Amino acid sequence: MVVASRARSFWRRSFSTGSDVRRLYTTSLLAVLLLLTTASSPAQPRLGTIRGRVEIARVFQSPERRPSASDLGTPPPREIPDLRRAVVYLETAPAAALESREPARARMDQRNETFLPHVLTVDQGTIVDFPNNDTTYHNVFSISKTRKFDLGRYARGKSKAVLFDRPGVVRIFCDIHSHMSAFVLVFSHPYYAKAEVDGRYRIDNVPPGTYTVSAWHEGETRDTRTVTVPPQGGDVDLDFVVQ
Amino acid sequence: MTSTACRVFRTAVCIAALLIATRAAAQAIPSEPLTFGDGRVVVSGDAAVAFAPKDDGFFNYSSYEQTTLRQVRFGMTAYVRLSDRFSVLGELRSENFEYVTPFALYARIRPLPNRRLDLQVGRIPPTFGSFSRRSYGHDNPLIGSPVAYQYLTSLRPDSVPADLDELVRMRGRGWLSAFSIGDRVGHPGVPLVSAFTWDTGLQLSTGWNMVTAAVGITNGTSSDPRVSDDNAGKQVSLRTTVTPTTGLIVGASIARGEFLDRHIRPLLSNPDAHDFDQRAAELDVEYSRDHWLARAELMRSEWTLPIGTAGAVMPLRSLATTFEGRYTFAPGWYGAARVEHLGFSQITTPTQTTEWEAPVTRTEVGIGYYVQRNLIAKTSLQFNRRDGGRITRSQLLAAQLLYWF
Repeated sequence: MVVASRARSFWRRSFSTGSDVRRLYTTSLLAVLLLLTTASSPAQPRLGTIRGRVEIARVFQSPERRPSASDLGTPPPREIPDLRRAVVYLETAPAAALESREPARARMDQRNETFLPHVLTVDQGTIVDFPNNDTTYHNVFSISKTRKFDLGRYARGKSKAVLFDRPGVVRIFCDIHSHMSAFVLVFSHPYYAKAEVDGRYRIDNVPPGTYTVSAWHEGETRDTRTVTVPPQGGDVDLDFVVQ
Repeated sequence: MTSTACRVFRTAVCIAALLIATRAAAQAIPSEPLTFGDGRVVVSGDAAVAFAPKDDGFFNYSSYEQTTLRQVRFGMTAYVRLSDRFSVLGELRSENFEYVTPFALYARIRPLPNRRLDLQVGRIPPTFGSFSRRSYGHDNPLIGSPVAYQYLTSLRPDSVPADLDELVRMRGRGWLSAFSIGDRVGHPGVPLVSAFTWDTGLQLSTGWNMVTAAVGITNGTSSDPRVSDDNAGKQVSLRTTVTPTTGLIVGASIARGEFLDRHIRPLLSNPDAHDFDQRAAELDVEYSRDHWLARAELMRSEWTLPIGTAGAVMPLRSLATTFEGRYTFAPGWYGAARVEHLGFSQITTPTQTTEWEAPVTRTEVGIGYYVQRNLIAKTSLQFNRRDGGRITRSQLLAAQLLYWF
C-alpha cells in the first residue's frame, strides 16, 4: 500500500494536472502505433533521377512564312518559334504512375502569328487554353489522331480551351496562317521533361527499375535508350544526340 | 449505266485511288517551305490535280484554253531577301505539262523598313479585285473559279466585230472567239478580270492600322494583263480595304486602261476620236466568325469598243455578282458553296434586242477534307446555265487533290 501510495504521489508531482496525463497517454499511443506501422510495412524504395542533355546536332530551320507572290506588300513580322526544346520521357512507366491525377490547366498563346510555347507537355486530362493575342483572327485546329478539334475563328482577347484526354502527340495548326504550328505532347504518367534551351533535362522521382527512355524533337522520336535506376536510387546520367 | 453515271463512277474511283496513294505517301513529302541562306531564300511549292468530265459547254475554260476543273497544275514560288529594303519574288506555274509561265516576277522595295510602304516593280499581283490574289487552291474552298475572274466573254483586244449582229453571233463562244476586223483566227476572249495571268508594271501599297491602299500602273488591263504593252495606254488601278473589326474586311477597287490592240486603230476611219478602254469597279466584303466564312463581291466592267470601221462606238457592260460561303463542320472537314451571276448590257441590232453576251448563272457546292495540314481533297458539283450558245446547261462533278509546302 505504501509503495502504491508513493507511486501515485510521484505521478502527481510529475504531472500536475489531468490533461498532462492524457497528453502523455496519447503521445505514447501514437509512438507505439508509428513503430508498429513502420515495422509491419516493407522498406520504401529510394527514388532516382534521370538527367542529362539532349544535343541538337542538326540545324533545324524555323518554319518560315510561305512566300506569297500575291501580297501587295511585305507581310508583318512574326516571332520565330524556339526549336531547341526536345522532350525526354519514359516509354514505359511504373504502374503507380498511371493513377489518375487532378485535372490540370495549361496555356498555349497565339502571339505575332506564332504559337507560344512551340512545344507544350501536359498530363493526360489537362485542359489547354488557346488565347488569341493578335489583332487578326486565328483558327486553332488539329487533325491528329490523338485529338481532333477545330476551335473556329476568334478575335484578340478571346480564348478557347481543349481537353487533352488521350496520351500522344497532337500537332496544332492555324487554319488561316499556314506558317503557324506547334506540338502538344500528352503523357499518361509524370515521367517526362522538356529540355531547357541548353538541352539539359531532369526527370525526378523515378522508382528503381529498367526503363526505355526516348528523346523526341520536332514531331519525331529521335533517339531511344535503355536505362536502369538502381534500388538505392540516385542520379542516372543519360545524354541524347538528335541527328 | 448511263454515260453520266459512268463518268461519276470513274471520277469517284480516281478520287479513292488517289486518296489512298497520297495518304500513304503523305508522311514522306515536305510540309514546310524550303529555306536557304539563313532564311534569305525561301522556296514554296504547290501541286493540284483536278478531275472532271469533259466540259462540253466550255464554262470553265480559262485564257490558257484549258478547263480549270480538269488540269494538273504545278507552282513554285521563291522569295529572295537581299536586304531589309530589297527583295525579289518569283513564281513559275505549269498547267497540264504544257506551259511553264512566269506567273509573277517582281522586285519589292521597302524604302523605309519600319513603315508599311512597299513599291513592287515587274510582273506584279493584281491591284484590282479580291480573288486574283487568292486563286491558289488552298485559298479557294471550291475547285472552280468565280465567273468574273474566269469566264471568257467573246471580246478580244485584237479583233472587233464589223456590226452588232456579228457580236451577237459570238454569244456563248468566248472560248474561241473571232471577229472580222483585226485578227480573224479564233482565240479565247477575255474575262472581266483575269485570275490566271498577272500584269506588268509597278505598284505602290501602304497601310495605316485598319486601312490598306494600293495603286498600280500596268501595261495591260484587268481583263487582258500583259507582259509587253499592246497599245500606247497604261492601266491605272486603285484598291483599298478597311477592317473595321476583326473578321470583317471591306474592299473596293477601280481600274481604267486602254484595251484595244494598236493594230486595230489604223483600220478605223477616225482612229483617234475615242478612247477604247476598259473601266472596272468592284466592291467586296468578307466576314468570318467561328466556323463560318462568307464573301460577297459585286463587279462592273465596261469596255468601249468600235463596232465596224465607220466610227460607231459601243459601250459593252457586264455585271458580276458572287456570294460564297464556307463552313467547317468537323475537324478537317468543311463544306462550301458559291452562287453567282454574270450579266451583260443589252444591245439592239436590226433584228433583235438582246444582251451582247450570253448571261451565265453558276452554282457550285462542295466539300473539302484535310488529309493532312497541307494536303486537301476536294469534291464539288457545279451547275451552269447560260442563256445562249450551243450548250446552255451543264452539270459537272469534279474532284481535286491539292498539296503545298
